[in-house]
Amino acid sequence: MGVTTDRATLRRYAGAALPLVLLALLVGWFLYAPPLSGGAGEPLPQVDVSHTTLPDSETVRLHVVNSGPEAVTVSQVLVDDAYWDFTVSGGQTLAPMERATVTVPYHWEPGWDLGLTLVLSGGATVHHTVVAPQPTPAIDAGLLGDLALVGLLVGVIPVGLGMLWFPAMRDLADRWLHAVLAFAVGVLGFLAVDAGFEALEVAESVPGAYEGHLLVAFGALGTLLLVQSVGSGRGSSPLGLAYLVALGIGLHNLAEGLAIGSAYALGRASLGATLVVGFMVHNVTEGPAVVAPVAEGERPALKHFLALGALAGAPVVLGGWIGSAAYSPTLGALFIAVGVGAILQVCWEMGGMIRDRGRLGTATNLLAAGAGLAVMYATDLLVAL
Amino acid sequence: MPVDRDAARALTDTLETRLADALRGDAVDRRTVLGAMGLAGAGAAGLAGGASANGGGHDQDGGDDHHGAFGARGEYGDGFDPHEFLRTFNTGYDGQSNLTQRVYEEDGDRVREFEVNAVDTTVEIAPGVEFSAWAFQGQVPGPTLRVTEGDLVRIVFRNGSEHAHTIHPHLKNTNPVMDGVPTNGPGVLEEGESFTYTWRAQPAGVHLYHCHSLPLKAHIHRGLYGTIVVDPDPERVAERPADYCDSHPSQVTPELRDDLVAEAETRNHEYDANDDVDEMVMVMNGFDTNFDGDNEVYAANTRAFAYGVGDTDGKGDTEPRETVHPITIDRTERQRIYLVNTIEFDLVNSLHTHSQFFDYYDHGTTLTPTHDTIDTIMQCQAQRGIVELDYGDHQPGLYMFHAHQSEFAELGWMSFFEVV
Repeated sequence: MGVTTDRATLRRYAGAALPLVLLALLVGWFLYAPPLSGGAGEPLPQVDVSHTTLPDSETVRLHVVNSGPEAVTVSQVLVDDAYWDFTVSGGQTLAPMERATVTVPYHWEPGWDLGLTLVLSGGATVHHTVVAPQPTPAIDAGLLGDLALVGLLVGVIPVGLGMLWFPAMRDLADRWLHAVLAFAVGVLGFLAVDAGFEALEVAESVPGAYEGHLLVAFGALGTLLLVQSVGSGRGSSPLGLAYLVALGIGLHNLAEGLAIGSAYALGRASLGATLVVGFMVHNVTEGPAVVAPVAEGERPALKHFLALGALAGAPVVLGGWIGSAAYSPTLGALFIAVGVGAILQVCWEMGGMIRDRGRLGTATNLLAAGAGLAVMYATDLLVAL
Repeated sequence: MPVDRDAARALTDTLETRLADALRGDAVDRRTVLGAMGLAGAGAAGLAGGASANGGGHDQDGGDDHHGAFGARGEYGDGFDPHEFLRTFNTGYDGQSNLTQRVYEEDGDRVREFEVNAVDTTVEIAPGVEFSAWAFQGQVPGPTLRVTEGDLVRIVFRNGSEHAHTIHPHLKNTNPVMDGVPTNGPGVLEEGESFTYTWRAQPAGVHLYHCHSLPLKAHIHRGLYGTIVVDPDPERVAERPADYCDSHPSQVTPELRDDLVAEAETRNHEYDANDDVDEMVMVMNGFDTNFDGDNEVYAANTRAFAYGVGDTDGKGDTEPRETVHPITIDRTERQRIYLVNTIEFDLVNSLHTHSQFFDYYDHGTTLTPTHDTIDTIMQCQAQRGIVELDYGDHQPGLYMFHAHQSEFAELGWMSFFEVV
């Protein structure tokens, strides 16, 4: 009996593995004895410049990736239509998908656009314009400290302040509490749409081979599914939902931090008082969204509030650090998309919660959600990074 | 000129090592910071390796000044050598070894015959940058032909290119069949077809030949052009001096006539007086490598910066490279440049000489200058002329010359004389 079962299992595994084995053989055949005579023509070279960094007034660095299917050689570099000296990390020839840094010793001037052109061995050119260049700050304790402070100011503190509405929310009648939840859905919906557009914008500068738009779409969808699967395990307890909201907002704030950090890294941040204040006003609305699910019923322990606040707000700091140290549009677009997915899932979940406790589609709730969108739009005007 | 590739490579290696060492310090600092944050390797600029041979610009001491780092990087490979091309004239008697040429008499005329083909090939126009060219005799510019006024120039042309080509002379050709245009005589010559063009070498001057197939822009800018120098015949100059200056025959004094004849003798490769002149051919050309209707490379004689200094720190120190170095000239000699403009996509090209004024003979058809004492001359496409230079008063050293469209200069048409 046992032997038969083992055999049957073995046969099942073998059956499952057979297509893979055949595929491996087929791949091996193509790699070692290609049956095709080399194909028709030559693919076009494709090199993408993901971004530039300007560590000092004498240096321009282009971060490039060979997105094409064949190796390419960067034979010359032009700066504003003039041949210029340069070095390529790892040598001038890039294998497919190879990343490299092209360093050009050029005395650039802040504010004056820089036109950079890579001339490939076949004469094809890759152009990149650095608009109004500014020095890229060196990553040191001072910068990290600044970013941490900014993160606290625009992330942790506003979310914490917003959470202080909790006692007031507890005194609300159901109808109004549901309206507050619906308002939070509006807030989150705004963030999702806003971040979605931003992700697609960043995806424009993602090297072609990484398929930026697909990365964004499936980054968001994948996160939604992932968070949904986590949420389904915990049931829809109010505290669990609050954590999910905090996680979603946290992922969104991570992306926000990333934007701040990379603006810093690219020398693009002017964190004046207006901007910081704008962020604070904008993000304070995220606080009630986090605590709204637990406003009804038993009050959770204080440590949960601290944890919720940290989960929702602190990622701004982390995002700022990552963004300043390792800016890449690919990573940036992915992070933002993950935030979008998380927020969408949270919107779904909160809608479900209102439906469970009463009616979702009341005029009050719909207007409250609309108000959430409107308030976010209005406060967003204060934030122009 | 024989070159020592091994020595050059050793020098390059030394400079690369020095530069890599200089840069590595910087890289370590950045990595240390990143590593401490647990973000090591995340987007940190990878700096090691692939260092430049442009050594001087990266001195550790002077590392904050990169104004000398302009110009194309690296060495050219084998193939067409602008330094050799510069002073190579094909007279039918002698010239470059890969051009079959002969001289013979026919019905009282001296015939200078050249067997020229057209081929599809690639030419290196900046170090490491290959351009798909159509080329006479496999080179861009095509071979420089040199004859004497009154000779017959005969080109046995065979088209080995996939595209149809012609050869059109910028000479006073009185037979429309020989004009080398699609509408006349044999018209365009397809792959494998041949035609023999015969032209009278007139007037004296520096002239141009090029393919006249359509689309003309493509056929010229892909490389189908070359220079024909028609030397004045001193005997004819003595007989008809007014043809070679802007004076009416009644105004030509015996002194002027003697001057014209003497000048003609310095121009004519069959006279001893010509031996005292250092003669050079410079074809100002350019290449659109990315099909945007604008040139990515400009040059005198195809290779960007080939007559440049090599490496420089921008502080007065220079280091010639094997394939990129100045043109050496002797200050006790007179210099003559046969200057031809074949640039496509731009309206004009120009030559400017530093610290020097020259006499200019537009089209080279006169023996008195058409411009006296100028340091910049402008030419439209197909315009050409003779530049007469004298560095006898100058101290030895480097003297720049270039197109005075700064863009052209920085894209390759920047050169140097090293006066010794």
